[in-house]
Amino acid sequence: MASSLIQRPRLLGGDEAGALILVAACFAVPILTRNILAYSVLNQALIGVIGAQSVWIMLRMNLLSFATPAFMALGGYTVAIAGEYNITDGFLMTAAAFLVPALVAVPLGALVLRLRGTYFVLVTFVLSQIMQLLLFETPRLTGGSNGIAGIPAATLFGVDMMSQRQVLFYTCGLALLATIVAVALTRYFRQHFASIEENEILAESLGLVVWRYKAMGFVVAAGLAGLAGYALVTMLLTAHPSSFDSVVAVDFIAYTIIGGRGSVLGPIIGSLLLVYATQMFGTQGQYAQGLYGALILVVITVARGGIVGSAAALLRRLRPGRRATA
Amino acid sequence: MSTLEVAALAKSFGGLRVFQDVSFTVESGGLLGVIGPNGAGKTTLINVITGRQVPTSGRVLLDGRNVSGQPSHAMSRLGVTRSFQQTNTFKSVSVRENIVRAIRFGGRGMPAGLETLLGEFKLLDRLDEQSDKLPYGLQKMLGLVMAYATAPSVMLLDEPAAGLEHAERHQIDAFVSHVRSAGRCSVLIVEHDMDLIRRLCPRILVLDAGIVLADGTPAEVLARPDVIAAYLGDTEEVA
Repeated sequence: MASSLIQRPRLLGGDEAGALILVAACFAVPILTRNILAYSVLNQALIGVIGAQSVWIMLRMNLLSFATPAFMALGGYTVAIAGEYNITDGFLMTAAAFLVPALVAVPLGALVLRLRGTYFVLVTFVLSQIMQLLLFETPRLTGGSNGIAGIPAATLFGVDMMSQRQVLFYTCGLALLATIVAVALTRYFRQHFASIEENEILAESLGLVVWRYKAMGFVVAAGLAGLAGYALVTMLLTAHPSSFDSVVAVDFIAYTIIGGRGSVLGPIIGSLLLVYATQMFGTQGQYAQGLYGALILVVITVARGGIVGSAAALLRRLRPGRRATA
Repeated sequence: MSTLEVAALAKSFGGLRVFQDVSFTVESGGLLGVIGPNGAGKTTLINVITGRQVPTSGRVLLDGRNVSGQPSHAMSRLGVTRSFQQTNTFKSVSVRENIVRAIRFGGRGMPAGLETLLGEFKLLDRLDEQSDKLPYGLQKMLGLVMAYATAPSVMLLDEPAAGLEHAERHQIDAFVSHVRSAGRCSVLIVEHDMDLIRRLCPRILVLDAGIVLADGTPAEVLARPDVIAAYLGDTEEVA
């Protein structure tokens, strides 16, 4: 009986496979080129990839989070403080950078996930502001306004990730890990997240325990933000409050919305393209925020699916006759 | 099959009393119709019973167990599901995906005779169509079938015939009879279509301005002058 109605879902969607391949392909850059500028741009873009996926997971449930910088700071400072005790093992620190913000997100989630829409936006923005305050007001732990400088390089199998090339390899690894986590979570709970995004009341009335999935998303998003913070302090060898300013959240949101919120490819392509475009502005980098703002306006008014969504719509138009997907 | 009992249930929003002292029992496998003019509190009653809203006072009992104030996902897991007055589906996905989600979220597997029901409502041929591209009547039926797909033991239907054409309304009869026989559901149905209520319900409850005005068989209840007055307004006494 069940056979005709329920079809076995595919293990991975095309966009998800594409996302994993695209991020994995970034490993080719440090192999193929010695261009220091390319290293720097890709490193920043991959930090964007990780942070934007954190934003994207929450957007899958229609929640726009500005809390990414707060959780990034938790991940980044965890690694920086551990570095002061000469704890630099890559695996251990990756786990810590993920778990510390994820654990903090559990009680915070219980508070903020009751909210929706603009209220959620505002409260998560406040979380980032509070984090700034905490960083400045706890100088003995975080170095206050000086931050923590001279963080020792991460070590992997006893090798220090000293050169820019090694650091880029390392960031590629973190970005791939983040993408695997984001894809695994949103693929496995695809129906749950999509139902919450589209019609939370109906989903709940059918028996979906909405808060459980929101909490799970929030915790994993916090963990991914922590990984972005880890990648950032590894690149800069410094943890400074200005790296985790609440304005950073706007960048990640811009990458996600402009790239396309409908698919995991969106935040990845958005980060890669926009960080590259920002570099093209050269010394006028300070105008990047204005560019992002203008692009978000364009996306919201004429291309709601962002880059990936619009490309997919174009492909569908070129291949007519395809029916609604499941 | 479960027995749904509502005892002295009341709901207020601040100073506004939506309904008060509502008591009734839907026997195991039974069918109760609830009628009343607009604003009588019928939809809020369903919202409160299914945990969408918390009751101000009173109790909801499922097979004798107090379940008042449980959130709606918990009520659904206990076997109490509702349908909505307006069409309510996951619009952007296919009919099939809508039903698969309902089965998955309900957590009790596929209910008996679901495919028969889909076939009866001509939904089996349209499984791969996007749900909001269906005609209104079919979207409405899909909403009902989704509620049934959670394999409930009690169903609360909020104006299932509203918006359907006359010719389509017999589908509600078929639906109710199917979920009672194949699905062994107890059913509470809120409806304005008096013909449908007369056809289906052995017992009806009249709500007016949040108070139970009458409770009995359709023949006796619908003949009462106070019920007619509640529906049509008071008739002027002619001197």
